[in-house]
Amino acid sequence: MNPAADLTEGCRPTTDGEIAVINLQSARQRAWSRFSDDPHRPGVAELIVEQESQVIQFLSDFNALDRLEMLVTQIVQVGLPPMRSALVQAQVAAIGHRFDAARRHLAAADDAGAKPDLINRLALSIDQACGLRADALLDTRRRIAAEADSLEALLPLGALLMDLNEFDEADQVFRRALGVYSDVSPFAVAQVCFQLGVLWGEAAPDPQTHVAAQWYRKAIGYVPAYTKARVHFAEICCSCGGLGEAEALLMPVIGTGDPEVRWRLAHAMLEKGNTADAQEQLQAARRRFEELLQRYPLAFADHGAEFFAGSGNDPCQALDHARRNAANRPTLWAFELAHEIAVSVGDATAASALLADAIAHWGDSTAFQSSSLSGESAKRSEGLGTG
Amino acid sequence: MTDHVDGPRQIGDPSADLTDLFAFTSPENPEHTVVALCVFPSAGSSAMFSNAVDHVIAIRRVNIVGTGYAGRFKTDEQEIRFTSKFGTLEPAPAGGKPAQKGTCTLPRGQALTVLVHDESGASTADGTFRVFAGLWSDPFCLAWFGKTLTPAPNLLQHDNVLCVVIEFDTRRVLDPSKGTLFGVIAETVPVGSTNPINKLLPRIDWVGRPEQTNMRLYNAGMEGGDDVRDLWNEQIPFAIDDTLRPAFLKQLEASLHNYDMRDGREDWPPDALAAVSEVFLDDFLVFDVSKPITDASYLEIERSVLEGHAYSTGGGRTVNVNVMDVMFTWAVNRGREQLRGGVTVATKPGTNRFPYFATPNTELQIVSETVDLLAAPGEVWSLIGPFGGAWHPLVADIRLTGTGIGQLRTIRTIDGKRIIERLEEMDDAQRLYRYTNVSGIPASNYLGTLSVRPAGSVSSVEWRVQFLADNQPDFIVKVIVSTLLKAGLESLKPRFGAAK
Repeated sequence: MNPAADLTEGCRPTTDGEIAVINLQSARQRAWSRFSDDPHRPGVAELIVEQESQVIQFLSDFNALDRLEMLVTQIVQVGLPPMRSALVQAQVAAIGHRFDAARRHLAAADDAGAKPDLINRLALSIDQACGLRADALLDTRRRIAAEADSLEALLPLGALLMDLNEFDEADQVFRRALGVYSDVSPFAVAQVCFQLGVLWGEAAPDPQTHVAAQWYRKAIGYVPAYTKARVHFAEICCSCGGLGEAEALLMPVIGTGDPEVRWRLAHAMLEKGNTADAQEQLQAARRRFEELLQRYPLAFADHGAEFFAGSGNDPCQALDHARRNAANRPTLWAFELAHEIAVSVGDATAASALLADAIAHWGDSTAFQSSSLSGESAKRSEGLGTG
Repeated sequence: MTDHVDGPRQIGDPSADLTDLFAFTSPENPEHTVVALCVFPSAGSSAMFSNAVDHVIAIRRVNIVGTGYAGRFKTDEQEIRFTSKFGTLEPAPAGGKPAQKGTCTLPRGQALTVLVHDESGASTADGTFRVFAGLWSDPFCLAWFGKTLTPAPNLLQHDNVLCVVIEFDTRRVLDPSKGTLFGVIAETVPVGSTNPINKLLPRIDWVGRPEQTNMRLYNAGMEGGDDVRDLWNEQIPFAIDDTLRPAFLKQLEASLHNYDMRDGREDWPPDALAAVSEVFLDDFLVFDVSKPITDASYLEIERSVLEGHAYSTGGGRTVNVNVMDVMFTWAVNRGREQLRGGVTVATKPGTNRFPYFATPNTELQIVSETVDLLAAPGEVWSLIGPFGGAWHPLVADIRLTGTGIGQLRTIRTIDGKRIIERLEEMDDAQRLYRYTNVSGIPASNYLGTLSVRPAGSVSSVEWRVQFLADNQPDFIVKVIVSTLLKAGLESLKPRFGAAK
């Protein structure tokens, strides 16, 4: 494994990120106008879902969740055909991490005669987000990637491999995704670079922050407004003492409304000794998290749990969010997070229940063996564990 | 911190997607020819060109080989190319929008730099070439539902596209003394890219005659069959892969036969169908610079050659020709009877002044406000449902003229402004009315809807207005409208109580 190799290779010229964002917003606004003119028009509601999803993903514009809710209200009011309506509602529910609702809408779409490939594509994404049927999912992802050999097929395979702690293969798959890309939109390649940053900066057992930093830098190079990439990169900068660089990364995206921007900014300011400003940013982050968690408790449960377990300094609230997240998305990581918080607040009952759930879901998997929960499981077997 | 991939998502760049290609005689100067390409379907008002794509228009000399059903159009190897590249955005003066410049490389290697959206474009000193690049109203009129072949409203109404328009001196550039018939294509090609794995330098899109892919190679009215559009887009213009020609030909024949039979009558016997499919397989827009290119000349050259007589027009494609009506008429009944879509003209017609496309359409703006009230819908509707009801706190007085649909209400606001609105629809059963603005709001295409719906045991009032801002920034008009709506709905809360 040599994650530092070929960082300059595999990337091709793409449309300048600033232009691409302007064009995304331009096309998104136009799509809304077309929807307003004729909500029944084939493809328009679906296009809006795709575009709003992109502005959430890259620009952290969480008001898009409200707009998507409005879209659903409209398509129900105007009586879009049941199949289309159910598919759109399934997508919107999945974007908001309301996976049970998404599955119900998918079932309705199926009943209404939706094409199996449309249903299966979203069902796969939901299973992946929830960490369900991992072995079968991996087989399917591998088959799709082998058939298509496209970035769109390789990216989710890489993400799944990363979730399953298969880091070397995930790295190879992401790099191949960059290699086979043959379009000029910068969004997809920025997303792959971001995933590589997460892989080497956070997911791998021995994080290589300098490698992750290069991937995040590359992601931001493709799409300068890529807020998540800036937040993750700033986190690395802070950990390496690059407080000025962290601030410089975060200040341009402070207006996005992503509470993580202000959270990380507070961290950088605090490290610099700027306590008053740091407190102000932290309060702003708290208010925004609370607002988002109230409106979309499932969509922000994991990030909310992390915030309140850390700088948000409300571990009980953190545990609530973490447990809700683990119940909604029983991924190994969700259990690790919830268990860690439960232990930190001294809630042995919750910790034990979470561990039991984690074992039930993941105990037989290879990934579990390298998980922090594996040790806890062993202790429990010996009667020494938290539960 | 964690993130997950929501799923595979095709994130293409719409600004690299070609929508159209044109070739016509300059309306300003009959000695000049105009070629133009358009990209970015449904571009919003702020759209910019991709800086990662070469926007190419390539012209080749064409010879007609054979006549009648044996007639074919064969091109020379030599190519006259216009390649437009665009830069990254340049910082704007305070408060302004960022600017973009483009460079068009001309056939003899000269280059012209244009400022995107600058209507005057750029010209060479000797006047041989003139180039424009920017946003214009989409000239395409798509007024058919392709699957059922039934007339539709223009499905591209109010759409804009990004266009590159190149005008040149016909004699100096094309040298008609060597032949007057030409074929032209447009393509978008990634700039200077190498793909490290498969080493391909794929073009993103190319276009010859309109609707080759979405109508002829992919016929929405046909069940089953392969979708060969991606494969087609991978082909090299003017040089379709010989090994794939039979597959494309088969697809074209099947598709055209399907269109022919849409009226239940066969106008294209097998030999004619095979001949026209062969002609469409050589996909470039054919034009003759020695003959008139008009709104009626599109496909006339192809038709004449296949019918075995001399063509009389310059073919080509003007901005205003309705290519769908022409194509469907020819494909379905071979010209027996003119077929027309739901409308016959695009949102705005082209002009006779460079750059010949119509000014871009402004974005339709939407303002929508709602309030939930602790009262039955009927109770709320009895107050706000009458078109002349004086319940709005910003209204000083209101006067009705006429009755029923079409009646006017003249509103005098408390700050002295006068607004006149016309009732378009009244539905007491649904508790809804719609109205348009006659005067008083700086907007056109203004449509307001006020409705009361049950929401559980209470009522939800929605007031929604859509409009095109008229000589005012969108934002300003939005604020005016939003203030009216909000003040009105807020005033209902103390009357009926606000539901949480």
